[in-house]
Amino acid sequence: MTAKKKVLLIDDDKDFLMATRLILEKSGYEVFLAEDGKSGVDMVKSVAPDLAIVDMMMETWGEGFEVVSKIRSMEQGKSTPLIVLSAVDLQGPYQVFEPSDESPKVNMVLHKPVKADDLIKYVGELIG
Amino acid sequence: MSEKVSKELIFIIDDEETIRDGCRQVLEKSGHSVITAGNGLDGIRIAREKHPDLVFVDLKMPGMSGLEIIDILLEDIPYIVLVVITGYASIVSAVESMKRGAYDYLPKPFTPDQLRAVTKRGLEHRNLRIETKMLRDAKDQVEKDFITFVSHEMRSPLVTIQQYMEALKIVAGGCLSGEAVDIIERCDKRIRNLEDLVEHWLDMSRIEDGTLTQKKEPVNLAAIVARSMDEMEPLCQRRGLEMEKELPGDLPSVIGDEESLVRVLINIIGNATKYTPSGGRIYIAAEYDDLDVTISISDTGAGIPRDKIPFIFDPFFRGKGKDDRQGGSGLGLSFCKRIMEAHDGKIDVSSEEGKGTTFVLRFHR
Repeated sequence: MTAKKKVLLIDDDKDFLMATRLILEKSGYEVFLAEDGKSGVDMVKSVAPDLAIVDMMMETWGEGFEVVSKIRSMEQGKSTPLIVLSAVDLQGPYQVFEPSDESPKVNMVLHKPVKADDLIKYVGELIG
Repeated sequence: MSEKVSKELIFIIDDEETIRDGCRQVLEKSGHSVITAGNGLDGIRIAREKHPDLVFVDLKMPGMSGLEIIDILLEDIPYIVLVVITGYASIVSAVESMKRGAYDYLPKPFTPDQLRAVTKRGLEHRNLRIETKMLRDAKDQVEKDFITFVSHEMRSPLVTIQQYMEALKIVAGGCLSGEAVDIIERCDKRIRNLEDLVEHWLDMSRIEDGTLTQKKEPVNLAAIVARSMDEMEPLCQRRGLEMEKELPGDLPSVIGDEESLVRVLINIIGNATKYTPSGGRIYIAAEYDDLDVTISISDTGAGIPRDKIPFIFDPFFRGKGKDDRQGGSGLGLSFCKRIMEAHDGKIDVSSEEGKGTTFVLRFHR
């Protein structure tokens, strides 16, 4: 029996974590939850997930960015596939997270709410 | 407020030395700081540097006229209060000064008591104006913070509910009856409507605080039409509608904010899809002359009853559809109107019941 792939969810909305966990568990992933950026970064170390999903809209607009940069700067997180979730614009009109050359590399940007089928499909594409 | 932290600065501009000195003595005795100037040019120079709270200006001086001085000072110095000193019996010039923004007038000759009374009134007026401005700013800030707060607090739970519904479909999967699936779909739809409402409401507030229409750059209208049509094409197909455009090849560009103009077109096309039965047609055309550029969006839909047309751009006005497809925030068209106004443009509508509706967007070139 092969071990389940591990997915780490980082989001400050408990219910959003629950809902997303249900979807991913049903598809056979082992899911870990972090309710804030700091514990999320710690869990990248302790859990060593195969993939992490980070909300860009935690407490502050900056927190998501910080989490992503921290993960990318860590040995364990350097090449971990990352999906960032973005709800439109806390910043200003229609601003969404768009990866630029300067921003740390993420593998995919999805918008909240995420269709279950899409989530399963994209996670599958990234880690099988 | 018996102790004043800083004395109010009063400025006398008059070519008569006796008046300047007399006023200074009286006002300094009442505890004010006083500066003086003997002509208009000096007056303006000193006022720009010292920013006095209250200025007395003699209307009749050699050189620059009192009215000119009033115009310049009101323009240059925020919250300045001007009182004109009128040397001749006619009050015509005093009235003219007050029309231009002077607060009061003092006819020569005047007594120290009169001077003190006018000074007191003028300073009170100034403080009131400053307080009003501060209150208004505070109110604007509260509104802005409220919008940000509410938008986040309202949107987060909606997103979470939608995510739970997605989870429910996955978790319950095959166990759900057709009826249950239908219920979930209906909930989904109502939540999306609520989401639109929040989004539109935010858009309206963003127009008010200027964040939505901040860009002023040349905008290619043909590109805006193309982008909006691309965005709306899938919806048109689902609703069995044909969408076409006919634009002149050399449509001039206008100055504005591309994103918000795309939103205007998407809103209007979206409306057309709601009220046009399957098999109908949406037609987008443009034309221009030396003064204006217009884009028109026509549909072959239900049309708007004549008595409702005056209200369709009002916030929260909603058309009544024959079925329940027409869920909407009631803010779409008033959003469009405000965006067009922010572009110094106009939106107009013509409609005939049973035949269709045409919206016309007019921009100045």
